[in-house]
Amino acid sequence: MIEADSEIIKPEILKAYVWLQTSDGSIQQVEQEVAMFCPFICREIQSGMGSSKNYPISLPSRVNPPMLSLILDYCRFHQVPGRSNKERKSFDEKFVRMDTKRLCELTSAADSLQLKPLVDLTSRALARVIEGKSPEEIREIFHLPDDLTEEEKLEPIKNTMDDPRIRLLNRLYARKRKELKERERLKNIEVEEDRGDERSVDDLLSFINGSNEDSKTNRVSKSKKKNRKRKDHHKAAPSNCTSTSNSTTASSDAVYTNNKESNELDSVRSSLTCHGNLLPNPCNGTKLHDIEDNTIPPAEDEFDDCDLDDDIDPALKEKIDREVEDFARRLNSDWPERMQQILSLGQERRTLQLTTNGNGSLRIFTSLDQRRK
Amino acid sequence: MEELGRDFLSDLPQSIIETILTKLPIRDAVRTSILSSRWRYKWASMTHLVFDDRSATQFNDRMVVEDRIVNFITRFLFLHDGPIHKFSLSSSYLQSSPDIDQWLLFISRKDVKELVLELGEGEWFRAPSCVFSCKNLMRLELVRCELDPPPNFKGFLCLKYLNLQQVLIPPDDIECLISSCPLLESLTLSYFDSLELTVRAPNLKYLILEGEFKDLCLANTPLLVAISVAMYMTDDIAEHFEQSSSCNFDKFLGGVPKLERLIGHIYFTKYLSIGNGQRRSPITYHHLKFIELYQVSFDDIKEVLVVLQLIMNSPNLKALQISGSSNTTAATRAPDLQFWDEKLSTDCTLGQLKTVKLTDVSGVPHEMKFIKFLLEHSPSLEEMSVTPSLYVTEGRLNMLIDLVSFKRASSQASIVFIHEPA
Repeated sequence: MIEADSEIIKPEILKAYVWLQTSDGSIQQVEQEVAMFCPFICREIQSGMGSSKNYPISLPSRVNPPMLSLILDYCRFHQVPGRSNKERKSFDEKFVRMDTKRLCELTSAADSLQLKPLVDLTSRALARVIEGKSPEEIREIFHLPDDLTEEEKLEPIKNTMDDPRIRLLNRLYARKRKELKERERLKNIEVEEDRGDERSVDDLLSFINGSNEDSKTNRVSKSKKKNRKRKDHHKAAPSNCTSTSNSTTASSDAVYTNNKESNELDSVRSSLTCHGNLLPNPCNGTKLHDIEDNTIPPAEDEFDDCDLDDDIDPALKEKIDREVEDFARRLNSDWPERMQQILSLGQERRTLQLTTNGNGSLRIFTSLDQRRK
Repeated sequence: MEELGRDFLSDLPQSIIETILTKLPIRDAVRTSILSSRWRYKWASMTHLVFDDRSATQFNDRMVVEDRIVNFITRFLFLHDGPIHKFSLSSSYLQSSPDIDQWLLFISRKDVKELVLELGEGEWFRAPSCVFSCKNLMRLELVRCELDPPPNFKGFLCLKYLNLQQVLIPPDDIECLISSCPLLESLTLSYFDSLELTVRAPNLKYLILEGEFKDLCLANTPLLVAISVAMYMTDDIAEHFEQSSSCNFDKFLGGVPKLERLIGHIYFTKYLSIGNGQRRSPITYHHLKFIELYQVSFDDIKEVLVVLQLIMNSPNLKALQISGSSNTTAATRAPDLQFWDEKLSTDCTLGQLKTVKLTDVSGVPHEMKFIKFLLEHSPSLEEMSVTPSLYVTEGRLNMLIDLVSFKRASSQASIVFIHEPA
C-alpha cells in the first residue's frame, strides 16, 4: 500500500523489501529499512539473504508471527530519525501495555533478534510488574509453581536436613497448609466450621478458665519465659519448646489467614533458637526475623494442632498431647452454655490481630471479658 | 487454574532474567528467591549490584537502619554466587566501618568492573588497599573518600571513567593516578581544594573540573572533546594568580585541537586571562561548536580578549552562550574602547554561528561593543537573545537603543530582548 503511494509520488524511488520467514514457516515481506533496525536481520541481509522470496531470512524459533508484527511496529516507529525523545518515550510507554505473557514472549523474541532497546524496554516493564508485589501475586501473574518447602523459603542457604527442629517446622507448615485446604473445600458445611470454632474455643477457654490456672499460667509463663530468655538449658528446653509450640499452635488456630504478622513465627523461631547454634542466628531471634523480612515478605504462620509423629521425644509428645486433650475435654464439659456465645464471637475474633506470647493471650482474655460483661 | 497457565517467565534466557532483576530494587530481586524452586537462586547470580537507601526500611533510629543495611549487604554477598561486575553503594546511613572494608575485599576478588561508593556525611571513608587491586576496573566513582594509593600501585589499566568528588588524595598522587590510567576517557574531579593539576591522559575525551584550582594544565590531552570547568576562588588562589607568569590560555587550551564543547563557570575566564598576551593563539579549534561561558566580567578587558580569542579561533562555532557578571559602577571609568575599532582584525567571520544567548547583560561599554561585534560578523545568525541583568533597572532603555542601532550581517537575525517587568 505504502509502496503504491510512493510509486505514484516518486516513481524513481523504490522501497527495498526483504523476506522474512518465521518459525511456523510463513513468509512475510517487510520494508528493508524497517527490518534493518534489528541487528540479526541486518547481518543476514549483509550476508546476502532475504532478497527474494526463495531465500527468505529464517528468523529464530522464538519469533512467531504475532511477535514479529509487534517487533516490526516498534522498528517502524523508531527507525524514523526525526522523532523527538518525548515522542519515543510516549510510544514506548503505550507499546508495553500488554498482558505479561505477551511481554515475556516479546522479550524473548526481541532478544533472539538482538534488538537490545526493545529487550531493555520490555525487561523494565516486567520489572515494574514484579516490583512491590507479594510472592503470591507474582506467582499468580506468571503462573509459577509454589513448590518450595517452607524451610526453603525461610532459609536461603542450604540447611541441614538432619536438624529435627527444621523438620518440625516444616511439618507444622505442611500440616497447616493441608488443613487450610481442607477448610477451603468444606467451607460450606456448617459442621466443619463449628469444629473449627470449637478448637478456638478450646484454646481461648483454656486461658479464661480459672480452674486450669496452674497449667494456664505455667503455659503462659513458659511462653513468656521463652521470649525473655534466649538461651535455655538443653534439658528443660525440649519440653519447653514443644509445649510452647503446642500452646502457640492451639492458640493460633483462632488466627486465620488475615493475620500477616510474623510474630508467631518469631516466637516459634526464638523458641527454636534457644537450643543453640542450629539456626543461623542463635542468640538473636530477631535477626533471623530480619533476614526473613529482608528476603521474604511475611509468610503464612498459622500452626496446626500438634499431632507430631516424627521421632522426637515421643514420650514427651504423648504427654503434651494428653494434656491438650484433657484441657479440651474439661473445658467443653464445664462451659457448654458459653459455647454458643463464643461461637458467635468467633466470627469477630477472626479479624483480631493476635500474638501468641503471653501478652497476646491476655489481650484476648480482656477483650472477651469485656464482651462477656 | 495454576496448572493451566504455563510459566513463561522462568523460560527466558538467564541474561534477560538478570536484566529484569537488575531493574528491580535489590530487595525485590532477593525476594524472588521464594517464588518457586527455579527462582531460588536466580537472584544470586546477578552481576550488577546496586545498594542504595531504597533497601533501607524506614525506622527512626539511625543505628537500627545502619545495622539492617549492613546485615542485608553482608548476607547478600555471602549468598552471592558468581562474578560481580558492578557494585554500587550509596547510602547516607552508612559510615566508615570494617564491614565496608570486608565487602570491598570480597568484591575485589570478583572481577569487578564498576565501583561506586557514596557514603554518609560523617567521617570520610578511607578506601582500603584492595580497591587498588581491582585490575579490571573500568568505572570508578567515589564520593567523600580518602584515597591513598599504595606505593607499588601501577594504575588501573582498564579504567575509562573516573569520578572523584570530595576525595582526599595527596596532590602528587592524583596526577599519578590519572596518568597511570592509559585508557581513561572521562575524568571528573569535584570539590578539590587548592589543587595544582596537570592532566596527562592521551585518551581523555571528557573533562569536568569543579573546585578551587590553583593551576590547571592540560599537558597531554589531544583527544579531548568536551571540557567543563568551574573554578572557585579563594584569597590564596587570587594571590597565586597574580604571581603567575605563564600564559594560562595556552596551558589549558593550547593542546586540544579536537575540542567540540567548552563550558566555563565562575572564574574560568579570569583564569584564562592571566598571562595572556594579546596575540592570536596559534591553535584553531575547527570542531568547537558550543561555547558556554558564565560569569564573564566585561569590565576586565583581559577577559573580553579571552572570549574574543576563543570565538575568533572557532570558525565552526554554532552556538554561543555568555552570561555576564559586570559591575556597572566600576565600568564608568573610561575603558580602553579604541581597541574595538583599531586593533581588532575584521577578517573574522563566524560563518556557522546560529544562536547567541546573552544573559545577565549589564550594558557596560565592552559588552555592548561585543554584541555589536557578534552581530557584524555572523552572517548565518538566526537568533540572539539578550536578557538584562536583574540589577540593571535604568540602563535597559539605553541598552535597547544600542541594540537596535547595531548593524547585522545576517538578514535572518532576530534579536529577542527578554524583559521581565520588575
